[in-house]
Amino acid sequence: MFAYVVRRLVQSLIVLFIVLVFTFTLPYFEPHGILAPAYVVLGTRASPANVHTWGVQHGMYHPYLVRLWDYIVQVVWHHNLGFSYKQNLSVWGIISLYVPRTVWLALTALVLTFVIAVPLGIFQANKRNTVFDYTATGSAFILYAIPSFLLCLLVLQAFSFGITHLPASPPSGVAPWAIFTDPVGFILPVGTLTLLSVALISRFMRGTVLEVLVQDYIRTARAKGCSNRRVLFAHAFRNALGPIVTILGLSIPALFGGALIIESVFNYAGLGIETVNAATYLDSPTVLGITLLVSIFTLLGNLIADILLGVVNPRIRIQGEQ
Amino acid sequence: MTTEKTTQDLEDREVPHSPLAGPLDARTVAPEGVSDGPGVVIPMWRQRVRIFMHNKLAIASVVYLVLVTLFCFLWPHIHPTNQTNQNLALTQPFNAPPSAQHPLGTDSNGFDVLGRIAFGGEYSLTVGFLAGVVTIIIGTVYGMVSGFVGGIVDTVLMRILDAALSIPLLFLLITLVTLFSRSATFLILLIGLTGWFGNARIVRGDALLIRRLEYSQAATAMGASKWHIIRRHVFPNSISNIVTVGTFSVADAILFLSTLGFLGLGIQPPNTDWGTMLQNGSDQIANGYWWEIYPLAAIFILVVVAINYIGDALRDAFEVRLIER
Repeated sequence: MFAYVVRRLVQSLIVLFIVLVFTFTLPYFEPHGILAPAYVVLGTRASPANVHTWGVQHGMYHPYLVRLWDYIVQVVWHHNLGFSYKQNLSVWGIISLYVPRTVWLALTALVLTFVIAVPLGIFQANKRNTVFDYTATGSAFILYAIPSFLLCLLVLQAFSFGITHLPASPPSGVAPWAIFTDPVGFILPVGTLTLLSVALISRFMRGTVLEVLVQDYIRTARAKGCSNRRVLFAHAFRNALGPIVTILGLSIPALFGGALIIESVFNYAGLGIETVNAATYLDSPTVLGITLLVSIFTLLGNLIADILLGVVNPRIRIQGEQ
Repeated sequence: MTTEKTTQDLEDREVPHSPLAGPLDARTVAPEGVSDGPGVVIPMWRQRVRIFMHNKLAIASVVYLVLVTLFCFLWPHIHPTNQTNQNLALTQPFNAPPSAQHPLGTDSNGFDVLGRIAFGGEYSLTVGFLAGVVTIIIGTVYGMVSGFVGGIVDTVLMRILDAALSIPLLFLLITLVTLFSRSATFLILLIGLTGWFGNARIVRGDALLIRRLEYSQAATAMGASKWHIIRRHVFPNSISNIVTVGTFSVADAILFLSTLGFLGLGIQPPNTDWGTMLQNGSDQIANGYWWEIYPLAAIFILVVVAINYIGDALRDAFEVRLIER
């Protein structure tokens, strides 16, 4: 198990390094290259001499590898995600308040997705090709084709201004754990985010359980006289758990993307809204910093998922040790 | 053999996955009327066309897509409307309900909504289609190289792919749009350049598999070059996955463009796309101006459903098990 964890950790660090190189190198290709911030600080009509001086002062002419090393040390050691010249604040200073808010939103949706999608998928596989299965599959089909922002708008229209009068926007400007102290405001955003990922995950779950149900050990279990319930939950569920853990890990990027839309529509101050605002004002260091942070979260999520997979499935970790 | 894999391996194993795939069992049984009876040999591609034509919903989807495309590109010429100048003199009604002059009313800027759906559709469909093509080309080449060359090249290419996959796509798109440009050409490139990761994985999985199959090894033994094997064996045998996943890529590209448009980062004025239009319409939804959002929403969702459905039908048509031998 230890060797397996170490191996996955090293892999994640390599991937993190590639992501860091990517986010560091991207500004070189901007119009004006890495000197673009100079035009923010000195104005769009700054003279080339002044821009050059600014570049010298900020070490922009140091060799690429030296700057890369500085960048990595800053990110990894000092948790410094960059500096927004537009807002004259460090990127972390801008987003630190919003990080826990988005993480709580995404985590709650992730847990709810697991709780809803897994039984739904099992149930669908058990009752496959029935009216229930077709309804669930058809709904997922439609949900997948509706752009998420449009779904949010329809939900808002139906449940905030129509059938019920739920709050259209969660409480902002309060503690990040407001999701637990004031849950009513979060029903619509969290519900919509969950709905989006349930549509995806339940299909995976259905497929995985269907794959498991044709295995020999299921036939053996049935031959021994196990009840259908026991076959489903003791045999099929445990064996389908592995792929589902992986898929949940892989769905984290989509979850953050969904959170971005949800935050924009339901006006919930979080990383997503901050990204869109920064993008609107062409504040590239902030956008890059947030993207880097979200990528790190995704890497962490995948790492945890793979370690959990090793716990759930002994075959994986034995394979890793050989 | 283990049945479960880690994060990296899992996607390689997946057959072109769409969450929209029909019931598994239905796909393994040939539809009635496809067979010509025993002993009749017909070319494979014709059988594929026949299986596709047998799928009524797929035909309906194709017809719908053709109609929408024709509408978007021809309607502005049949019934030209002003989609550029805002009506500051208020000589044209804004937020006007549907009438004989404006079949779907006008929006908050006084633009004719029906004309604007066609106008924005030109951009949405073109960008979506071309971005999908870019996706297919890059994904195929990258996956083929990675899967076929193998060894250290494969490892390096796959680690790069892991890194790319760990950046949430929407954030990546927003970053690129912020750093560079928002012109239509650039959006095609951006959406295409960020959409191919999944395609590359699937093509790589195919290439890895086919390279090890007997006929590839036999070709190698007979002295065929790598290029020949890629051209004659690997590519034709993975074309089904390339086309199927490519179809879903087009749908995804249209969705991503609309999402960018909704966030105000899509096609910039004076031009527009469907996402931007939906964003504008959504501001009016609470006022009861339904014509600004619901007709477009219906057309848009059906376009995405149709493309996805065509992808499903193509997968069925390529499914070897469905073809009678």
